[in-house]
Amino acid sequence: MNAALTPETPMITGAQATLMALEEAMALDPRVIVFGEDVADPEGGGILKATKGLSSKFGSDRVKSTPISEQAILGAAVGLAIAGKRPVAEIMLMNFTTVAMDQIVNHAAKIRFMSGGQTGVPLTIRTMTGAGTGNGGQHSDMLEAWFAHVPGMKVVVPSNPADQKGLLLSCILDDDPCLFVETTMLMRTKGPAPPPGYRVPLGKAAIVRPGSDVTLIGYGRPMFDVVAVADKLRDEGISVEAIDLRTIVPMDEETVLGSVAKTGRAVVVHEAVKRFGVGAEISSRIHETLFDKLKAPVQRVGAKYTPVPFSRPLEQAFLWSANDIEAAIRRTLRA
Amino acid sequence: MASAEPNSGAAAGLLPAADTLIAMYKKMFLIKHCDEQMRATLRAGKIAAPYYSPRGQEVISSAIAVNLRQGDYVITIYRGLHDHLATGVPPRELWAEYAGRVTGSCKGKGGPMHITHPASGVVVTTGIVGSGMPIANGLAWASLIDKTGQVTITNFGDGAANIGAFHESLNLASLWKLPVVFVCQNNEYAEHTRFDGGTAIDSIAKRAAAYTMPGVRVNGNDPGEMWRAAAVAIERARSGEGPTLIEAMTYRFHGHNFGDPAEYIPKEELADRMAKDPVPALRVSLLRAGHATEADLVAIEKEVTDTIADAVEFALASPWPDPKVEMGRDVYAMEIQP
Amino acid sequence: MTTEILLPQLGFGVDECVLQEWLVQDGAEVTAGQPLFSVETGKAVQEIEAPASGRLSILRASEQTYPIGTVVGLLK
Repeated sequence: MNAALTPETPMITGAQATLMALEEAMALDPRVIVFGEDVADPEGGGILKATKGLSSKFGSDRVKSTPISEQAILGAAVGLAIAGKRPVAEIMLMNFTTVAMDQIVNHAAKIRFMSGGQTGVPLTIRTMTGAGTGNGGQHSDMLEAWFAHVPGMKVVVPSNPADQKGLLLSCILDDDPCLFVETTMLMRTKGPAPPPGYRVPLGKAAIVRPGSDVTLIGYGRPMFDVVAVADKLRDEGISVEAIDLRTIVPMDEETVLGSVAKTGRAVVVHEAVKRFGVGAEISSRIHETLFDKLKAPVQRVGAKYTPVPFSRPLEQAFLWSANDIEAAIRRTLRA
Repeated sequence: MASAEPNSGAAAGLLPAADTLIAMYKKMFLIKHCDEQMRATLRAGKIAAPYYSPRGQEVISSAIAVNLRQGDYVITIYRGLHDHLATGVPPRELWAEYAGRVTGSCKGKGGPMHITHPASGVVVTTGIVGSGMPIANGLAWASLIDKTGQVTITNFGDGAANIGAFHESLNLASLWKLPVVFVCQNNEYAEHTRFDGGTAIDSIAKRAAAYTMPGVRVNGNDPGEMWRAAAVAIERARSGEGPTLIEAMTYRFHGHNFGDPAEYIPKEELADRMAKDPVPALRVSLLRAGHATEADLVAIEKEVTDTIADAVEFALASPWPDPKVEMGRDVYAMEIQP
Repeated sequence: MTTEILLPQLGFGVDECVLQEWLVQDGAEVTAGQPLFSVETGKAVQEIEAPASGRLSILRASEQTYPIGTVVGLLK
């Protein structure tokens, strides 16, 4: 998101970024297995074509469409991982992870610890979600806070195609169970394509706009507004340091706390419901460690405390807005 | 308790050889004796742990174990002591894990419901009813991809056959012809509920037809019958023909968990089943058939009692895990500050 | 009575699509239900029927991407 765009800059969508990562991972490591509902080519190569061509290229041993059986899908991923493979299981929509919570929370996250380190579960779960296109209450939830709250899971939320590709590749090659959250609208949104082999390390945030007056921490689709608001306020003489977390767990506390120690003001933005969200954790951490340096309480921007509504005006009211972000920043400056 | 039709390829009347029966007896006696010592140790307060006695179900695990090869995978559940010992989890590491010591199989971090010992094949023990079957499919799929001929056994109870994951797993295993043997140890009680009070169908094995795989109901307490069913199913999986559902009829002597007074079990029923205890029954049968002498069996039993005595002493003398060292380890591949 | 021709939402999570081709000429008479234009959603190309009868007035060029709900033409 920092590179200057030219007419020649190749652009790819989020779905294409995922495909790029999967292709590279599968070519690099024969242990990588990709599966999920409708992912193989006879079924279309994924509902948004994020797995298109993989089964034809790598064979049906390693790329399989599954029945609609989330517990079986994720359980198979756990078993494959214990047996030494690198499974990448797709749960079509994040709301459907609820159907397989046992395999994620009770097994994938805990088996390394409960076995005393004898077995590990290096799986990746790819799942898509996000509100904004009228899919309603059961097809739009951002649930990353739930999984961040389970010791043993890693949770990753990219905001642009290059990061999506680089982070997914890192998840697949990681020795721990990773939940990779793809945002529905970002799957079709274009961004600069990364070079081949591009990897983004887990646990490392990106400072996308350096600044000195207030720290704005976000991840996922809100990053477009985070950057836009930062740029707008810079013209007013307010220097906003904008951070894209990229990985929720493990969180890059060094970058986040280092920034707020410098600015003394923080706003956390995420698409997920504000109450009991990831922002609450970040806000607490900042207050606990930097209380003496804070010039204002930490502000949070997130969605309203309702199920995702269907009707367009309600859904728009549910979600964050650039105005919400700007207002939150100004509150920290007034204090 | 009639057995169902033999699997295709089974030789009717195929019986285990004498030394196989003796090997089975040794495992069964090990389980019986270990269970008795475990309950005594718990009652004496020397160990505090959740314990789900498998006493009465020894034949199933032993019959399966003698048919396995090095490298085969075994998944079991919290009522898994019999599966653990039969498959080869060392008694010392098992007892130390029950005792929560750092010398336990899982450094005390998993406990009895998560005994793990990959070298013997026990890769997962789970405390969630029905959750082992989806995982078994993944292990089996890996074997298929690598063409290793490894087989995965997944053990579960009659209650677990009503969990959604059972149905998802059997469907997928059948669809992809995965080398899995689904072993339903039907001990007639799901927690405190009688089998017929919780299951609409009268035999779990019949459900196999819905998933297009062979389903056999056997007397899981008859060494010959159980051994034959295991041999056939394991060979079927190993040769690439796909999964089997075995419903092994059995009975548990000590309620759901240690501390359960099991008032829901009719006393006459329990007395009747305990009188048919398969462990002494096999002992009698070995002597009668001339497969072993009294001296042979006494020697086997002495070795077992010595082994368990050693394991208990080892466990209780072992150190506890140090929170400063162990808490940050194994949450992830790299150590963290917990 | 003038009827608006709107770009429909076809598919999951779609907020825009490509108006691939007008199947009828600008100014021609159209019958309700007649294939009017094709859209491409990234999954497939689909033909959209005329919502009413009338004379077609094209407002948006083909081979371009528009947000769903865009008024791409009128039937008078």
